[in-house]
Amino acid sequence: MAAQTYALAAVMEDNYAVSFPFFGAERRGAPVMAFTRVDKDVIRIKTQIYEPDYVVVLDETLLETVDVLKGLKEDGMVVINTARRPDEVQLSREVNCATVDATSISLELLGRPITNTSMLGALARATGEVSMESIERAIMEKFGGKLGTEAGEKNARAARKAYQDLQVGMCRGGKDFVPRKEWLPTVQEMPLGGSIGALETEAGLVGIGSFVRNKTGDWRTFIPHVDHDKCIGCRMCWFYCPEGCITMEDQKAVIDFDYCKGCGICAQECPVDAISMERERR
Amino acid sequence: MSLNIKDLPDEHLFTPGHTACPGCAAPIVVRNLMKVFGKDTIVYAPANCLLVFGGTYPYIAWKVPYLHEAFENTGACISGVKRAVKKLGKDSLVVGIAGDGGTYDIGIQALSGAAERNEDVIYVCYDNEAYMNTGIQRSGSTPFGAATTTTPVGKKIPGKTQNKKNMAEIMRAHEIPYMATMSIAYPKDFLRKAEKARDTRGFRYLHVFSPCPTGWRHDPALSIEMGRRAVESGMWTLYEAEYGRITDIYKPKRKIPVKEYIRDQGRFRHFTEEMVAKLQEYADHKWKQMYGSLPEEKPE
Repeated sequence: MAAQTYALAAVMEDNYAVSFPFFGAERRGAPVMAFTRVDKDVIRIKTQIYEPDYVVVLDETLLETVDVLKGLKEDGMVVINTARRPDEVQLSREVNCATVDATSISLELLGRPITNTSMLGALARATGEVSMESIERAIMEKFGGKLGTEAGEKNARAARKAYQDLQVGMCRGGKDFVPRKEWLPTVQEMPLGGSIGALETEAGLVGIGSFVRNKTGDWRTFIPHVDHDKCIGCRMCWFYCPEGCITMEDQKAVIDFDYCKGCGICAQECPVDAISMERERR
Repeated sequence: MSLNIKDLPDEHLFTPGHTACPGCAAPIVVRNLMKVFGKDTIVYAPANCLLVFGGTYPYIAWKVPYLHEAFENTGACISGVKRAVKKLGKDSLVVGIAGDGGTYDIGIQALSGAAERNEDVIYVCYDNEAYMNTGIQRSGSTPFGAATTTTPVGKKIPGKTQNKKNMAEIMRAHEIPYMATMSIAYPKDFLRKAEKARDTRGFRYLHVFSPCPTGWRHDPALSIEMGRRAVESGMWTLYEAEYGRITDIYKPKRKIPVKEYIRDQGRFRHFTEEMVAKLQEYADHKWKQMYGSLPEEKPE
């Protein structure tokens, strides 16, 4: 929706713009992509964007697992949601980099860690190609129309704050990314009907029980803390954890942060309030 | 003796690493059901969120045999799997887990057929009251007034104009050996019914109420609380039936107004007093219909 809003702001300033998401199943908190193309002329190209001028990263945990600079033009810029300064960020190469702590801004102004509108303000400042006024108008039209005027204004304020707070500089380079190996069997190697049991391959375990390789801990904004003095070992959190990442050790709840998504159900349902949620600082 | 939370095994047959939204109730439902059903189970899922967050080929979160087919044929597929298992001389439990779209709307004919043939399988419907997987479209299960992407709130039509279809009663009318409605907000009741379904022969239907923070637009931490408020407000009823005869109804200790239930949900944000009254009327009707036959309790 943010990609569409940026396109709308560009259109308001007499540009042509196209915007679309990466096709696939979308789920809240999971890594997704969206693209926006802006031009003074009619845009006839309909593909995904492989060599962008700007890359916006809403979740800094992605920097650890994905080379976000892949395809970015030499004089391009990456805009990152992080509390760090640009020169504190290390990526695969040295490029123009702008940072803003959009998560804090969103929590303060919206009460939720949803950062897309804040990042719109940051992007407007970074590109200088769309004015902040147009971004605010576009947010009011897109978000205000759907969620009500008040919500629209809040989002516009968040964007304005990110616009003001943005720090511009260069990031450091030299970070190595080793792409994760994938299991790519030939047609002959493929099991009948595609059905597989637990199978060890060059990409690690595939088949039943293999999804544990997918560490979902980096989706988290809030982190649960268990007070073991209060915990009575009733297993309610163990029963209710959607991830199943709580284990019981000596009758006390222990959380596996590789998988915890920070939903807060355990803290809400704990009968003795032994679990509290805190903002996670990475 | 019925099962307790502490009796459940530690091993997960539906593992962490799945990609459900934070606070989703469906993995809670599925993981705990699987703990009751045990290792000798074959799971089928049609198109639903569970299919997508439970794995991306070749990686899956299941530790039991698992397959999927088209959206509409859960009933037919689990029938076929069970018969194949029987032919092999085995006695594995065969479970189909569909969402409300795959049960109320798209899968109802295959489901009805399997129920009528009294196939020896368990059918689980986890009901999150819309087609969440494709981005929150209304289904037969969506309650009155709820905003979805296909029933958006406009100036003339505020959300869905029809009431929720009473699917559980449709299944009760099939007079199958066992059917039950459940909610994870009531763990003891949940486990008892799951265990009973496991130990019954013939067609069994479990209907689990499953709050969806993304689609209902509530705080992910409140998923269980939403399940609880649904029962206490009369928007959802916990009961079970054998061969069409109701054998148990859980009556909540207190009744809360519908307003309490819809308060924290974004999909009801646009509700006017009139709409609240209309939804309250529906809940009161349900309450009377379900609990009216029970002996009147003395007010405290």
